[in-house]
Amino acid sequence: MNTTTQTLAGAPWKQGVKDAIPLLGGYIPVAISFGLISVQSGFSVLETILISTFIYAGASQFLFVAMAASGAPLWLVVIMTLLINARHVVYGPNLSPFLNQDKKWLPLMHGLTDQIFALAHARLPQLPGQARLGWYTGAAVLAWLSWIAGTALGAIAGGELTQRWPLINDVLPFALPALFFVLIIPRCNNRLWSLTIALSAVTAVILKMSGYPNVAIPLAAMSGAVLFFALKNQPIVGEH
Amino acid sequence: MDTSMWLALVSIAIGTYLIRLLPYMWMKRSLAKRQTEDGVGSMPTWLTILGPTMIAAMFGTSLVPAHSDVVSWFATGVGILVTFGVWTRTRSMGLPILCGVVAFGVIRLLLPVSLV
Repeated sequence: MNTTTQTLAGAPWKQGVKDAIPLLGGYIPVAISFGLISVQSGFSVLETILISTFIYAGASQFLFVAMAASGAPLWLVVIMTLLINARHVVYGPNLSPFLNQDKKWLPLMHGLTDQIFALAHARLPQLPGQARLGWYTGAAVLAWLSWIAGTALGAIAGGELTQRWPLINDVLPFALPALFFVLIIPRCNNRLWSLTIALSAVTAVILKMSGYPNVAIPLAAMSGAVLFFALKNQPIVGEH
Repeated sequence: MDTSMWLALVSIAIGTYLIRLLPYMWMKRSLAKRQTEDGVGSMPTWLTILGPTMIAAMFGTSLVPAHSDVVSWFATGVGILVTFGVWTRTRSMGLPILCGVVAFGVIRLLLPVSLV
């Protein structure tokens, strides 16, 4: 990653908000879909909004409402939804070298989603230490509020919205792969990392298309890591 | 929702938060113990590898279009190429993403679904 420290012209939280704006293209359509499906599954508008506010994890929420609506045992619902989120265990440790000892980081970990992790992992090393808390707060809070607002919109008027503007669901979500792409492409600065990144991405595509979307991210990431360790001492592709 | 459903909701919410919080606290304490100046250097290597590979995997999963037809895949390919092209010129985040989304959207709109 580019670790050149940047100076910020404005307040750090404003830069965080600005950097997180591309996330909205992915968050809002998915949140609208969740709001719609949740209400159709029998949850009230308020319950739906509370689910998004406090669980705040896309795949888990969809699984939660689907399993709850199908009458699955609740202990199984809890275990399955937490298992889906198990990949998050590596996010905090990866960011921790860039965060100071401020206690405000603790509640902010609620906002550490896949997308915020990807964004923070690329941006925090580039920011001066004193700007990181404000930057992360701006980015994470915008993403959280957009998720809640999108959910509310979907729960209240999702059916009509997606019927009238189907492109909301079809076009805007492309912002997510585009975002991940610009976050990961600077890492491809040598053959070893290029191969590692390529294998992770291709494996994820194959797993998702094969019907395993929930294990695609951890398994694809592990396959890339295995390749990295297998090749790192090979002189042709090595880092040095 | 009945009481048991609320309990499940609260359990998932707390569990998800702890999954995000506890590993961070563990690493923070571990780094503080070592008291090294370069925190990244003292992290386990496998963890520093998993960060970028996780992002690459997220890129892969998000790349698969909702409707897996020829037009969507073509639009996805063009969208990524346009994103890359603009990124190589600007080395920024916002403009490449915006151009990529517009390119993706234009192709989805212009090419007839009958190509599927």
